[in-house]
Amino acid sequence: MSLSQSPLDGLNLEALNDQDKAEIRQFLSKQQQRSQIQAQTHQLTQVCWTKCVPGAVKSGKLDKTEETCLANCVNRFMDLNLLTVKHLQNMRS
Amino acid sequence: MDSKAVKDAVFQQVVAESNLANARVLIEACVLQKIQENCFEKCITKPGGSISSGEQSCATACMEKYMNAWNHVNSAYITRARQEGAGTQ
Repeated sequence: MSLSQSPLDGLNLEALNDQDKAEIRQFLSKQQQRSQIQAQTHQLTQVCWTKCVPGAVKSGKLDKTEETCLANCVNRFMDLNLLTVKHLQNMRS
Repeated sequence: MDSKAVKDAVFQQVVAESNLANARVLIEACVLQKIQENCFEKCITKPGGSISSGEQSCATACMEKYMNAWNHVNSAYITRARQEGAGTQ
C-alpha cells in the first residue's frame, strides 16, 4: 500500500486532536493485524494442506480426520514457532 | 476540516485501500495461485490431450476443499493466537 501517493495527502493531519490520533493508531494496528493473520493463514494452509490432505480428493468437504489434522497442524506449527524463538534466544545469550 | 472529519477520512481511506484496491487483489491472486498449484498437483496427475471429466470433478472438489481448509486453518490460528495473547498479558 503506497500511502505516499494516496488521497490522504490532501488531508490536514495537523487538525487531528490527541484522542483522534490515538483512535487512528489503534485502528491502523487492527488493520495491520488483520492482514498479518490473513498472510499467516495462507502460509499455514499451504503447509497443513500438504500434511493433512495427502491422498486423492474425493469430496469438497473436509472429513473429521482432516479437520482435526488441520487444527493440530496449526497448533504444532505455533509450538515449533515458539520453540524456535526460544532456541534462538538461548543461542544468543 | 476539523479533527473528526480528518479522522473519518483516514479510516475510510485505509479501509478502502486495504480491502479493495491492493489487499483484495493480492489475496485473490494468492488464493488462486495456491489453489491452482495444489489442485493441479492432485488432480492432473498425468496430463492428457484434454481435460477429462474425472479431472474436472476432482478439481472442483479440490478447490472447495482447499477453501474449506483455509477457513478451518484461519479459525484455528485465530483461536491459538488469542490464547497466546491472553497468556502473555
